[in-house]
Amino acid sequence: MISNDTYVEIEYYQKTKTGEDVCGDDFKTVSLEDESRYIAVLSDGLGSGIKASLLANMTTAMALKFATRDMEILQSSEIIMDSLPVCEVRKISYATFSIVDILASGKVRITEMDNPEFIHLRGHEEIHHEKLKQVSSNWPDRELQLSNFEVMPEDRIIFFSDGVSQAGLGNKPHKFGWKREGCLEYALQCINNQPQISARTLSRAIVTQACGMNPQCRCIDDITCAVVYFRKPRRLRLLTGPPFKKDNDSEYANYVVNFEGRTIICGGTTAQILARELNREIKTHLFMRNNGLPPTSEMEGVSMITEGILTLTEVARCMENTVPQQEMAPAVKDMINMFMESDVIEFIVGTKVNEAHQDPSLPVDLEIRRNIIKKIKNLLETLYRKKVFMKYI
Amino acid sequence: MDKIKVEICVGTTCFILGASELQELERFLPEGLRDKVDITGATCLGMCKDDNYGQAPFVRVGNRIVSNASISSVIEQIEEQLKHR
Ligand code: FES
Repeated sequence: MISNDTYVEIEYYQKTKTGEDVCGDDFKTVSLEDESRYIAVLSDGLGSGIKASLLANMTTAMALKFATRDMEILQSSEIIMDSLPVCEVRKISYATFSIVDILASGKVRITEMDNPEFIHLRGHEEIHHEKLKQVSSNWPDRELQLSNFEVMPEDRIIFFSDGVSQAGLGNKPHKFGWKREGCLEYALQCINNQPQISARTLSRAIVTQACGMNPQCRCIDDITCAVVYFRKPRRLRLLTGPPFKKDNDSEYANYVVNFEGRTIICGGTTAQILARELNREIKTHLFMRNNGLPPTSEMEGVSMITEGILTLTEVARCMENTVPQQEMAPAVKDMINMFMESDVIEFIVGTKVNEAHQDPSLPVDLEIRRNIIKKIKNLLETLYRKKVFMKYI
Repeated sequence: MDKIKVEICVGTTCFILGASELQELERFLPEGLRDKVDITGATCLGMCKDDNYGQAPFVRVGNRIVSNASISSVIEQIEEQLKHR
């Protein structure tokens, strides 16, 4: 049973076979019915490149649809197998799949066809499950494996394409590939080093490690790994703008003190108010190079302090246009990374009007602040599946 | 002798109106002044919201505010204050 305070973090990472333009593995996930149910699907298309990508994409799209509609699994798989285009050369149509269906109550149902078997971890221990086998009479050599079980908070489910388990195949020291056992051992090692390791970081670590098994780190196959982590939500709170009424300053400061999570402050005046209320000192990194943005500052108990409007505008722009990390200003990069490494994000927006009147052309304006935050909120929800709350004060 | 504290505001208003260049102040300081000042940044000195202070960018030198600050006007103010010590 998982409680209300458990966040289901679902992340994946993949690398395309060296020399191919598109990945022949596909991963898709949805959250349904107000986040009371999540479905994730991983498929590996036969071969590599565009043909494989097509097979994998068709498979994940169909599997996701059927699972969402609670269609009978054997029938769904038959439809998938029947409708995949047949390869000219090999005269077969083929794509593997793993469907992971998670209910908020903690019930998990996994259906696998020909992918390496999933791994269920509770802390440092692997949990094995009895699997029910089903075979369609039309496709006698495609066996479905069904598992039903319950998860607990802090459990992890790891599943991957054979690019992971066969990594290093034919080369010492893993002549027969890294195998599921190798991946399991590595995942345990990662968790040992970092017990709260996120699904995002773990999936990346596994794929990178798998890739490194191959000579010259070339990908001899598409490599995909997905991780589901039933975690305590990592919370982030971002405060920006002075409160509407001065009387609210102390309430505002409470948002920093009484909080279990990371805090970001965006805005010079905001930082001043909080420093005064909390009786803490602000240090500004005057000589820091921040690619044309004002420098950041620091204060005890706060993860990050930046200037307000200019920095937030740049954050929104970089998120929207998926600007590569190395081209971002350091403050922008750090803030976006903090967003990524959080599950629940709260924006506390101060609504004091008429902030700066020195120059009416300056974009220091409440409406702008509100709009940028709304935009960032939207991007976080739609592109990154974060839970975002907003409060005006 | 105590160093003179120089606070360069790098809040939004000041930054846009020229504080980005003021950040370089230390590089332009004459040799003789270097060890006499202590340069720091400030998130917003609050003057941009008050009509009584003139135009941004603002720099606080000791306990005086330099408005519409430039590297040369800040250096002038530092020298001025050193004279009266
Ligand atoms: S931004 Fe410089 S005084 Fe407000």
